[in-house]
Amino acid sequence: MSPIADAKGLIEIGDLGVTFGANGTAVEAITSVSLTVKPGEFVSLIGPSGCGKSTLLNIVAGFVKPTRGTVKVDGLPVSGPSANRGVVFQQYSLFPWLKVRENVEFGLRMQGMPSGQRETMARTLLGLAGLLAFENHYPDQLSGGMKQRVGIVRALATSPQVLLMDEPFGALDAQTRVVMQEILTNMWQQFRLSVLFITHDIEESIFLSDRVFVMTARPGRIKAEIAVPLPRPRTPEMTSSTEFIAMVQQLKSLIREESLAAMGSELKEGGLSGFSMSVGPSGVAQVI
Amino acid sequence: MYAATMPPPDSTTATAKPSATIIALQGHAAGEAAQARPEPRPSAPFADRVARWLSLHGLSLLLWSISLGALFAVWYFGTKYRVDFFIRFTNIPTPTEVFAKILEVNKSAKYMVNIGISVRRILSGFCIAIIVAVPMGLLIGRYRAARDLLLPACEVLRPIPAIAWVPMSIMLWPSNEISIVFITFLGSFFPILLNTVHGVTALDPVLLRAGRCLGANEARMFWHVILPGALPHIFTGLAVGMGVAWVSLIAAEMISGQFGVGYFTWEAYSLISYAEIALGMITIGVLGLACSGLIRMLGRLAMPWEVFTNRGNR
Repeated sequence: MSPIADAKGLIEIGDLGVTFGANGTAVEAITSVSLTVKPGEFVSLIGPSGCGKSTLLNIVAGFVKPTRGTVKVDGLPVSGPSANRGVVFQQYSLFPWLKVRENVEFGLRMQGMPSGQRETMARTLLGLAGLLAFENHYPDQLSGGMKQRVGIVRALATSPQVLLMDEPFGALDAQTRVVMQEILTNMWQQFRLSVLFITHDIEESIFLSDRVFVMTARPGRIKAEIAVPLPRPRTPEMTSSTEFIAMVQQLKSLIREESLAAMGSELKEGGLSGFSMSVGPSGVAQVI
Repeated sequence: MYAATMPPPDSTTATAKPSATIIALQGHAAGEAAQARPEPRPSAPFADRVARWLSLHGLSLLLWSISLGALFAVWYFGTKYRVDFFIRFTNIPTPTEVFAKILEVNKSAKYMVNIGISVRRILSGFCIAIIVAVPMGLLIGRYRAARDLLLPACEVLRPIPAIAWVPMSIMLWPSNEISIVFITFLGSFFPILLNTVHGVTALDPVLLRAGRCLGANEARMFWHVILPGALPHIFTGLAVGMGVAWVSLIAAEMISGQFGVGYFTWEAYSLISYAEIALGMITIGVLGLACSGLIRMLGRLAMPWEVFTNRGNR
């Protein structure tokens, strides 16, 4: 299988809102979120914890129904989960009873592809991710980083229009994370599909994305949109450029305001208002 | 080990190259090892393997022998000296008497026929229980409506031991044989059902989501995600169910039976044939052990991935 030439996967999110729970205890998770991901674009969503970024992704994936607003992918409204929208989860989600290659083949099998064709395709994809030697291993025999790579390959196997990633590298150590980011950008460039990537890691969001959206504290709204002008392919050296550092600083201060807002309301309830002023920048970064 | 064979991060195309290097390295290392060893004796690998096995399992082997040996010693010495100290060994047959009985009963077909009939009853009751309980458990675990419809009736019937069903079962079914199979079925049904339900509800929700977003419809979710995901718990249910099935079968055979190992044992008691009582008990024990061993073996065949999942308690 050769990498697909045309970019695909236009995501249109229009005036989206989600309220969880009944009238009395209703919690507004997201309110009036509108954004567009262009075909072939890599977009990150970043924000303080609990801001509803995962909820937003779950709506696009079709797991959660929005209370208000619309989500369309390539012009078609989202009505439930579909193999057109690949999802990579934060937790390891490989089927432990299937070998690595069988996991990758799962989506193709559901489409009714004959087994010979399935196998060829899965092996090609595993080769791209450097995992061919492990095609007959069970997931529990792999390291965390390898499991997530298989997860990405599995999501890509059905040739989806978009790839939705919910903090996929959140459970990995820092070194593995950097490697995974490079592998992901490589694969994304070959597949030319659009990616919606949730993270709380500022450097990660800049390194990977064409655009970064910052969300506010609950109820989540889009607070800012930042275009990343760094050229492709991205290299690790770029992370020490002045341009990159300036963007990190900009995002940090944007998110810091939201974290303080989120923390402030919690702290006031606990009778500790004012405490947030003594938290230094590094402390806030950890909170994020 | 995995880190060593993992290709470098930037290589999306040159994956073959690093693995070739590693093979070369391994070959080199093996060559060195062969050179270093002075003179390998022909029997060395086997002796090595035995020594390694002993160093790994030696203590377990010793403890197993003590465990079984103690059991046998109590029987042997208790009957040899006719111990009568609250526990009375006076009428208990000695190991040699029982061994002589084994040889004797094997001269006629009666003993083997009894075993065959008991095994047939166990297998019929147990297989029917699997066929009914597993699909039912999957449905109850997956759908609230199925749970509300089926579980209350099950919960009411569950506390009644299968043995208490014997009189009712004899009235309920047209033949004695069917009623015994029914008792066996009842004994294994609830453990299998409840463990299957638990297997479905304990399934990681992220696997269900993964299945859905890879394009599996509801029927395929059952076959490709929910059933394999619940399989470890189902096999726990089968192991427990098999144990209860034997308890129920022996009780049913003792009360209402003609033929069967339970009937053989009870008949021996009526005829005051002490050696046959002991032989019956031993037969039941061996058959029960064989059946649970069979289930464990099937479990290992059906779930090869479990070896890697449950590495913790080795």
